[in-house]
Amino acid sequence: MKNSPIKTVFKFETIRQLKKPSFWVAVLLMPVLFGVMFLISFVAGSENADTTPHLAEDTVIAITDKAGVLPKDNPFNKYDSEETGVEAVKKGEADLFFYIPKDFLETKKAQFYHISEGLEIFNYDGNALKMILSQYAKLKVDELDAIVLAGEYEINDNKLTATGEPSNALGKAIVPGVILVVYFVFMVLFGSRLLMTVVEEKENRISEMILTNISSKHLIIGKILSMLTLGVIQVLVMVIPMILLLAFNWNNPAISSIVSIIELDPATIAVNVVLFVASIALFAAANTMVGVVVPTARDASQYIGPIVVASVFPLYFMQAFMATEPGLIVHFLTYFPLSAPVALMLRSTFGTLTPVELAIGLVEIIIFAVIILRITIKLFQKNAINFEVVKFKQLFKR
Amino acid sequence: MDKIVEVKNFRMTFGNKTVIKDLSFDVKKGEIFGLLGSNGSGKTTTLRALLGFYEPTSGELLINGKKYDPEDTSVTVGYLPEERGLYRKESVIDTMIYFGELKGLKNPREWSMKYLKRVKLEDKANLKLEKLSGGQQQKIQLGITIMNEPKLLILDEPTKGFDPVNRRLLMHIIDELHQKGSAIIMITHYMDEVEKLCDRAILLKDGVARAYGKISDIKKEFGGKSLDQIFVEVYGGEDEE
Repeated sequence: MKNSPIKTVFKFETIRQLKKPSFWVAVLLMPVLFGVMFLISFVAGSENADTTPHLAEDTVIAITDKAGVLPKDNPFNKYDSEETGVEAVKKGEADLFFYIPKDFLETKKAQFYHISEGLEIFNYDGNALKMILSQYAKLKVDELDAIVLAGEYEINDNKLTATGEPSNALGKAIVPGVILVVYFVFMVLFGSRLLMTVVEEKENRISEMILTNISSKHLIIGKILSMLTLGVIQVLVMVIPMILLLAFNWNNPAISSIVSIIELDPATIAVNVVLFVASIALFAAANTMVGVVVPTARDASQYIGPIVVASVFPLYFMQAFMATEPGLIVHFLTYFPLSAPVALMLRSTFGTLTPVELAIGLVEIIIFAVIILRITIKLFQKNAINFEVVKFKQLFKR
Repeated sequence: MDKIVEVKNFRMTFGNKTVIKDLSFDVKKGEIFGLLGSNGSGKTTTLRALLGFYEPTSGELLINGKKYDPEDTSVTVGYLPEERGLYRKESVIDTMIYFGELKGLKNPREWSMKYLKRVKLEDKANLKLEKLSGGQQQKIQLGITIMNEPKLLILDEPTKGFDPVNRRLLMHIIDELHQKGSAIIMITHYMDEVEKLCDRAILLKDGVARAYGKISDIKKEFGGKSLDQIFVEVYGGEDEE
């Protein structure tokens, strides 16, 4: 009794990929890159967020105010002119010297002098003047005016639907959007690997030996399932550290502000999951077909390019997809087979996909996936010993 | 039924070129059958059509009375093709186990190690196939072909590139399978191999059978000449390569 051939192919293809160092380099490279990028943006973000000057207690601040912004008896008024102030900085009598010129109201420019300590990319000592001027300005108005002028208040955005219900379109779009992002990750990682593994039999001149022992249908299905599993492993390796990172930074204001608006809309999530599965099937079928019709991996690259471009084409029209009334281009991309997966997921995410459009698009994706896969399986058997690129008319030959 | 292979009125056309013209022959269970002819005479095309890689233009090619289906367990087929290759980046043992599992072997590792020992490659089991010489790779391919003791073994130029020692070893392995009841179809250009091993043969020229039957009958038909002489006579001493 033979083992299940699909299971045998699945096991062989999966284990040999997992044993390759190149697989793990590719798997770990993305999370490491993400981590580095996150770290850089986190550091830069935290540096940027805090723009208040960090001054020592004995820092000597001097201001020469020719515009009359400050009262004359302020404690910073030490020098009569810009020149004397600069001299004081040079001699070390003043650490920070600000000069407010007479035409300050027109130019809105003041001068700041201090002894440089290198690059000083994150030196915000110059903001000391803004803080001093702001404090004096507040003394001239009442508390309410001070809050209004400083903009020290929040505006709560209460969006409503047309029927008057509270609306949270962005919060609802986050989880379906994540599904779309995972689809992109799959496209990038899984597509090329599937293509390589399909073209490998021909490239190694092994097609005849293998197809004497297993049908092309079982071989292809085994390969697709194996590559899907590897794709899932790769996505998990990327997602798990992100989830852990989120969990450990749950109280971070940036994270909690995003998490707080997330609203789970089961219908949209379910639609995107179904579209995700159907889209992967179509993308897998298209990649497998390319692998079958070309003799080498090198030849494959020129054919796979247009498929990937067509798949991500809806992203170039993001604005059009975000509009509440979809235009002609959105409708075209919704029904064009290769762009349909991303177009449908985008429209579902933005809430502009009607049930009828979803049904038509989904059926179309499934039909195309099945047709392409059936042609591919037949071609794999018949084309196993053809070491040239298959001509277009051969695709439909009996 | 004593026939394992039946080829009936097989015709194969590629574009405007007909490479096989109404070919008919059969291979009996348990016999060694020689498929002979010069390069381009249609031997490999016939085998490929028999195994379903080509759709015949007309006619029927049957194994055990049916069109070949690799997943039909009623007949086991081993095929060593002319166009040979292996997963170059995989180890010898992993590749053999993979094929062993596809062929339904209960313990493919054990069988593979035994075979590697026999062909003096046991120390190469964990090496990548690309590290092996051409001849060593050919031994692995042969091992993969015969590992399930197929009822029908098809060998397309099995001794091509083998030195005399390995050629003898291969002949011995083929003979062993024959003794166990396998039918063997062999394409070869070595007429001494045919005379020594084959029960019957067919000689093709331009896709047409020029001689077919028992080796002794073919020789009788050509006035008692050797197969080598018959080959030269059919091809008129021309070199078709």
